[in-house]
Amino acid sequence: MNIVNTAILDPATGWLILAIFSALWIALGWYFGRNSLQLDDYVLAGRRVGLALGTATIMATWVTSNTTMAAPQLALQMGVWGMIGYSLGSVGLLMFAPLARRIRRLMPSGYTSGDFIRLRYGTSAWRVFLLISLFYSLGWLVSMGMAGGILIHALTGIPYHYGMTVILSICVGYTLLGGLRAVIGTDFIQALLILSGAVIIAVLAIRQIGLDTIHASVLADRPELLNLLMPASIMFLFNNLLFGVGEIFHSNVWWSRAFAFREGVGFKACVLAGLLWAPIPIVAGFIALATPALGLNVPAADMVGPMIAAQILGTTGAILVLVMVFAALSSSLDSLLAATSILVVEDIYRRHLKHDATAVEMRKATACIIVGLGMLTWILCAPRLTTLAELLYFTGAFVASTIWPIAAGLFWQRANAAGAIAGMTVGSAAGLYSYFAVGFYVAALVGAAVSMTLVITASFLNPARFDFGDLQERHPGEAVPGPGGGSA
Amino acid sequence: MIISTTAFTWLVGIALVLTTAAPIILLGLLLTDWKKGQLW
Repeated sequence: MNIVNTAILDPATGWLILAIFSALWIALGWYFGRNSLQLDDYVLAGRRVGLALGTATIMATWVTSNTTMAAPQLALQMGVWGMIGYSLGSVGLLMFAPLARRIRRLMPSGYTSGDFIRLRYGTSAWRVFLLISLFYSLGWLVSMGMAGGILIHALTGIPYHYGMTVILSICVGYTLLGGLRAVIGTDFIQALLILSGAVIIAVLAIRQIGLDTIHASVLADRPELLNLLMPASIMFLFNNLLFGVGEIFHSNVWWSRAFAFREGVGFKACVLAGLLWAPIPIVAGFIALATPALGLNVPAADMVGPMIAAQILGTTGAILVLVMVFAALSSSLDSLLAATSILVVEDIYRRHLKHDATAVEMRKATACIIVGLGMLTWILCAPRLTTLAELLYFTGAFVASTIWPIAAGLFWQRANAAGAIAGMTVGSAAGLYSYFAVGFYVAALVGAAVSMTLVITASFLNPARFDFGDLQERHPGEAVPGPGGGSA
Repeated sequence: MIISTTAFTWLVGIALVLTTAAPIILLGLLLTDWKKGQLW
């Protein structure tokens, strides 16, 4: 792919837009998080996040650069099912709704998904889980960092290393300044920008070309894209669904939201976010089907969205896409930095290295880890190894194998540690094997199926009698209440 | 089995209506939470 040739904005305009939005995120991050001095305020936004900010942060975090760029690409490659398959990523959000409510109820003072696994299944399962979770987090961070550099370069011609450095520095900067409050506050504005941009581009595409013309042109040139029985697309649909469920169920990005929401908000926020997120890949994706109607020659499928936006709207369309992509990247990267930093601090620093760490020390450690994660991501992104960008795809097998240990552990007393450990390790291995032996589209499916079998079988053979009250434990953060009342 | 023009139009149309409504719903909720003092 010669991405230099696909640049649709000049670098000067690109730098201007990046500068404006970078300054905006930093200023807002500082403003939203200016009172986040205590640990709970900094890492869990005081545990009192309301429905509006809760819904928006879930939506914005789940809209990654993939949603805005890969949805059109999938529509171009897999047709109608490509868009619908992508929109089924929302099933994970909907399914997480009852979990979010239960997590908040069972662990009102919890901090991480690692806390749950440790208390529910013991240290061995916890360490296996931490390996999977940290591997996934790093894979997501690196893929987002690289996507930032590559997309900014592709859209504006700004060199990869500059774009990647800007996006990482800005996200580290405002997450460091304001913690989770900064992340959630900026997520709200980023969600509005992404939604508005997608709607404007879609409406103008329909007005200029027309859905009838788009359908007729695709039917004439590439009818397979309108075929509802395209086998590869249907496989992709199920795999994407399970990958999404696995990502959401295990990742501390979503668990930290569940802990941060005000009592009674988690369920509603997840359901609403899932319903409002589902149509976004269709709105962002269908414009790719206008390619035959516009007579466009697309040199690289992953640039089809911006190319069509620029074709329809000219420079304004290209600017809109850049703003959307920047917002989508920032909203995911900041969440990942905040959630991974507290996972490292709580589950590695405090539980492995400094058992008597105070809330103040943990607050400082979280800030240091945010910077450290940013630097590590930069180092891994710098060589621009495409194999690293593909790391995230491998994690499908791993994260899908955590679905059953998490869900069964939260709702089923009989689920036991042996089943959870076997489910995560053997499920991951089986999923990884199928990734190489069959294809990427079955890895999550196999990982989840094997894990389910092992968790259920082990629970029937040797049922545990877990007392869910054991999930409540005291934490240093509770001893230092925040100015507004502290933790729940 | 090819998706018809009507079904395709409905699919994109419904998705577009929901995506257009999303920012309005979010802003409405923000106002409600703010009035109740429950933003965060």
